[in-house]
Amino acid sequence: MLNILLLLLSIIVITTFGLNSLIFISLSAISTYFTGKYLEKHKNKPLLIFIIILNLLPLIFFRFTYLVNKFNILVPIGLSYYTLSVISYIVDVYKNETKSEKNILNYLLYVFYLPYIFIGPISRYKDVSKTMFTKKKFDITNTYKGLLRISWGFFKKYLIASRISLVISSITSNNLVGAYALLACILYSIELYSDFSGGIDMVIGVSNIFGIKLKENFNVPYISETIKEFWGRWHIALSSFLKDYVYIPLGGNRVSKIRNKINIIITFLVSGFWHGTTYILWGLFHGILVCTGNLFKTKNKYINIFITFILTSLLWSFFIWNTSFIEPLKMILSIFTHFNYITLFKNLTEINLTLFNIVVLILSILILTIYDLKQEKINNKISNLSPVLKTSLLCITVILVFTLGVYGIGFNHSEFIYSKF
Amino acid sequence: MKYLKVILTLTFFTIIFILLNILLKPKYMTDLVEGSMTNAFYKEDMVHDVIFIGDCEVYANFSPLEMYETSGITSYVRGNSQQLIWQSYYLLKETLKYETPEVVVFNVNSMRYSKPVSEAYNRLMIDNMKWSKEKIDLINASKTEEENFLSYVLPIMRYHSRITELTKEDFEYLFRTKKTTYNGFLINKNIKPYTSFPKERRLPTYEFQDIDYEYLDKIRTLLEEKGIRLVLIKAPSLYPYWYDEYETQIKEYASTYNIDYYNLKSIADSIGIDYETDTYDGGLHLNYYGAKKLSKYFGELLKKNYNLTDYRSDAKISEIYNKKLIEYKKALESD
Repeated sequence: MLNILLLLLSIIVITTFGLNSLIFISLSAISTYFTGKYLEKHKNKPLLIFIIILNLLPLIFFRFTYLVNKFNILVPIGLSYYTLSVISYIVDVYKNETKSEKNILNYLLYVFYLPYIFIGPISRYKDVSKTMFTKKKFDITNTYKGLLRISWGFFKKYLIASRISLVISSITSNNLVGAYALLACILYSIELYSDFSGGIDMVIGVSNIFGIKLKENFNVPYISETIKEFWGRWHIALSSFLKDYVYIPLGGNRVSKIRNKINIIITFLVSGFWHGTTYILWGLFHGILVCTGNLFKTKNKYINIFITFILTSLLWSFFIWNTSFIEPLKMILSIFTHFNYITLFKNLTEINLTLFNIVVLILSILILTIYDLKQEKINNKISNLSPVLKTSLLCITVILVFTLGVYGIGFNHSEFIYSKF
Repeated sequence: MKYLKVILTLTFFTIIFILLNILLKPKYMTDLVEGSMTNAFYKEDMVHDVIFIGDCEVYANFSPLEMYETSGITSYVRGNSQQLIWQSYYLLKETLKYETPEVVVFNVNSMRYSKPVSEAYNRLMIDNMKWSKEKIDLINASKTEEENFLSYVLPIMRYHSRITELTKEDFEYLFRTKKTTYNGFLINKNIKPYTSFPKERRLPTYEFQDIDYEYLDKIRTLLEEKGIRLVLIKAPSLYPYWYDEYETQIKEYASTYNIDYYNLKSIADSIGIDYETDTYDGGLHLNYYGAKKLSKYFGELLKKNYNLTDYRSDAKISEIYNKKLIEYKKALESD
């Protein structure tokens, strides 16, 4: 019963974003549901390829902004996420890695499930089906866990990400370069992580309440020593999708060294394209950095972490100045050609870095870092707390978010960076 | 016992959260007192024969205590900065839950607006209004695109950034208020003579919009149902935004429904208003000196034309009003 309510709620909310969203998602869901049932019994590869291409077409079409503008069609909500979910289902069924879903309502819930349709994580049927379609009953432990996770997501989004977005929008709108561009790249690393992982925390938290277990999407990405390691810790759902459904089918590492490098580059180009046409160069650079492997690796762990962080930060410039291919490169270049570092420190308030904002930001990032590094230990301690202490922790987080968060007029506080992909 | 402890914890943090909401909401007591006008009405201890509704052109131009002193009528101004017509309607509806006046005077200036204009003005008017169905309707009718309803329920959502701007006022008036207006009249004794105004701006259309007529109709029918007389006025502002076309339309409306309409600008000279001394902003609004003259004139007009009672000889009411007058005069002296 609760599953049907969840499905109805998902459909209603998705419809509020435009009837085209409902139509596109429904077509995807229905086409893959029936094809899945057929392919389970009849291994028809051309049909599999046809249905994959059919489902990829909208994703490809909507990645070309000029086409979207020309035909004036609204991008369906969650396009990037549900497309990959249905493709993973159909491929897994074809490869006998999972059985096809018999109950169409269950399958529709898998595709339409509201919490992850906006921001992910990209779900795999074989993972979520274990807990999604079971009979739901109220569980106080899961509820506390879910609520705490949601409040933690809000903390990351509104105390860190939104606060940093003020600084970055001030830098970009004033076309500031040099030291400002470097600051923007570094801060954006933290903003994107807090925004995206904060959103995922909320999705996982809501799912926890319903007893649905979703896979983690992040694993402390900024302690990676190489770019390759970074991709094992960042946006894990996308990385593993690309690995399983692009990289390995291309031959993976069971081919010649050169072919393997080409496979890596292709996989990262697909990753860039999944984000949008202006992100292809970003994907290419990441691909090259993964291929070059240990080129930047030293014997010192902390230097490696620092180098990897700086490299990923500089490449986030493709997300900050995402209007063209050239602009991010110009900004990276300006870091080394415009030496305005003293000006930056003298004018911090002009880019919204008031003393109050700096203090709140540093403290929040400190809390985030400590939590990330000691996650398991802290989570165990929290789960062993008494209900009173758990409630107190929840209330304190909520009050902190309401009081010190950056939101309100002038902010589109319900939008997450990754909800536009 | 376990659940009781959780409930107590939740209650404790809810109280903290409520206190934070109260603390962070502007108090409008010493700075920007225009935000204290709506709730000042709830402290009134008596009913009135006349209620003025409208924007700053009523709370700056009409002093009910001057009217009482010169003509003996009792009145109250329920006006706020840039109070739009739908806001006037809901505020009037709320007022009529507390009292039934003989006459309601509506300043038609807001007929010029057909959509919510400013979040800041909305806040000044609505923040301190008591919760009621009227307040809910008022918020829904007034909120601009960038606003959301919840931020009126939880002021912390709008004012959380004030955490770094809190002043002594925020703590001093955490649980109390002080008198900022006198029966809704805001004293301003500054003088800034009229010099000139920008040239009249030509507009694409001079027609009042359907929404304005809709709410004017609502005001009219609401008062008709309760047997209250509606009087329309245009306050004597010199600023050239009340066009002849507006005047014609409002006169037509008044004539259609047999409502009295007074354009007080056209008779400002005969009232004795001198825009060299009687305005605090160069002719846009009257100051105390101008309001005194206008109130004397209009109070007598209301008393005569609508047969209103002179309460100066009523022991009970005159006692209340004499106390109000003492406070009012004290405020005038200290201003």
